Amino acid sequence: MLRVEHLTKVYPNGTVALKDVSFEVPDGEFLVVIGLSGSGKSTLLRCINRLIDPTEGKIFLDDQEITSANSTELRHIRRKIGMIFQQFNLVKRSTVLTNTLNGRLGYANPFLSLLGIWPQADKDMAMAALNRVGIADKAKNRADALSGGQQQRVGISRALMQEPRIILADEPVASLDPVLAHSILQYLEQMNKTDRVTVICSLHFLDLVHRYGTHVIGLKDGMKVFEGAPSEIDRARFKAIYGEEAQEVRATALE
Amino acid sequence: MSNNKHPRLRLPKFTGRILISLVLLVLVIISIQVTQPDMGKLISSFEKGRQITDGLLSPDILEKKSLGSYTISIAVPVPCNSAPQEIIPDEGHRLEIVPGCANPRDLVILNGYDLGENADVNMRWVLPNGKLFSIRTAKTDSSGNLSEEIDVRPITVAVDGIPSRLEIEVFQPGSTYSASKTITDVFNNMYVTIFMALLATTIGTLFSLPLSFLAASNITRKGVVGSAVYYSVRFFLNMIRSYEPLVMASIFALIVGFGNPFAGVLALSVVTAASLGKMFSESVESIDPGPIEALQASGATPLQVVLYAVVPQIVPDFLSFAIYHWDINVRISTIIGFVGGGGIGYFLSEKINTFNYSSAGTAILAIIIVVWVLDFLSSEIRKQFT
Repeated sequence: MLRVEHLTKVYPNGTVALKDVSFEVPDGEFLVVIGLSGSGKSTLLRCINRLIDPTEGKIFLDDQEITSANSTELRHIRRKIGMIFQQFNLVKRSTVLTNTLNGRLGYANPFLSLLGIWPQADKDMAMAALNRVGIADKAKNRADALSGGQQQRVGISRALMQEPRIILADEPVASLDPVLAHSILQYLEQMNKTDRVTVICSLHFLDLVHRYGTHVIGLKDGMKVFEGAPSEIDRARFKAIYGEEAQEVRATALE
Repeated sequence: MSNNKHPRLRLPKFTGRILISLVLLVLVIISIQVTQPDMGKLISSFEKGRQITDGLLSPDILEKKSLGSYTISIAVPVPCNSAPQEIIPDEGHRLEIVPGCANPRDLVILNGYDLGENADVNMRWVLPNGKLFSIRTAKTDSSGNLSEEIDVRPITVAVDGIPSRLEIEVFQPGSTYSASKTITDVFNNMYVTIFMALLATTIGTLFSLPLSFLAASNITRKGVVGSAVYYSVRFFLNMIRSYEPLVMASIFALIVGFGNPFAGVLALSVVTAASLGKMFSESVESIDPGPIEALQASGATPLQVVLYAVVPQIVPDFLSFAIYHWDINVRISTIIGFVGGGGIGYFLSEKINTFNYSSAGTAILAIIIVVWVLDFLSSEIRKQFT
């Protein structure tokens, strides 16, 4: 159970990214966050693992308060929260295998990891993760030699290495060709269904929201303007969340 | 209208140009007054200049060496029957005396065969007690033979059956070329210079690594303490970079001794640390922040983040900069010797100060070759990392 209470984030330049957002995410949910660019989706996801420190409000994972954790506690919490990024955030010059192993750093022996030594068990685990996303044959390739879809699969295998309880996916398919969206989201769905991993995912396309989400939150200008089941979102709601001027988004999304 | 956008005083174009020309003219006049160039001097000392240039352009590279010498001798029984006569071989360089023995104050003829054409010959007596007694020098003829009259002096009388001997030392004409002493010296000094630069680059690089991270805004400039460190390290780097390596080297030469390569190493290390620190920090600042975010999110420690997300991104740049700086350091260290930094530069300044221009020419030639080779090598190696 993840609980977000009265979350507010004001950036130093005065931008209010989140305004008093509260919600709960039961274990095993596939929560989709929708909203325009700049509506606070990325800030919300980054507040949950405290890549961004919120200005006000509290976040609890079960009964542990993430927002008040010290740096050691925070690293232990972060190990359990995998993150997938719109721009993949791979180390381009490192190999696919190394990028996958990077997801295990939080568990690694601090001294051995500084020497670049990995236990065989971790390597086996990484190969299994790569196998799961279907790119085990690319393990020795440099990350930047892969296509966008393949790079995002490395991102997923990196998150798998954390054996996460929660996956935060920040627009995981927005940088990809729309036809690739399902090939990526199916892995998130699989983790959600078979491994009972809670997924919190921001998405732009209405059909994807309907297809994958079990619960939806809509953000507009940093405020929560909608919370409910995916089926409750129709054209009108979508328009309300995305604004009158977002005709193109709506049209594309409904196509 | 553009004048509305830039509301400032604009002189008409023509007047402006005349003003600029006047200012330039005044500047030129002042510079001539200050530096007082004396063209007459340049022409009157043309001869001196020509000598120096000739010296520099005829570098001392090869050395003439004679092929060497050999010695042969023959016994001369004085008086006759005081010792046996020697049997003369039929071939090879050989000596004979005519007649085969002599009494004191006689004349004998010393014949030599196949000694080598036009060779200089030293003739001498080897007395029974082993002492040498020089006679005179001679020269072989064009077929390599020798024929000289020798006075048999009483001092050559045999003692206890041991005769005096007539010995000749033949210096073979012609010569071979071999590397001159200057070349050896230049080689040794260049060796010092290259390794001085290598050591300085290594030390400088090691110091520049932590400095570069401290001077990178995306790593260090966080919070009050971070900002203070960032700005002070950056100020420090800029301050050192504004010192010429030459100035630095002359200061260190005063401390550790003039002509000591260690002075050059110290100066170059400091300059390299500052310069690479700045270059590296810019490289660190330009990295992709994405992987850092990703590894932080996975629960990695700050040190792990640097090692796994930052280092792989900067290694190619760092290697390339470091090699480039080695190249620069070899170039600078040739000059640094002039102010007492040791190595080839010190050798060169010594040779110039002692008017030994052809040795100086050798050093200059060596510097040119080494700089070319290193320039080529470093660009080839750097290609591998891009």
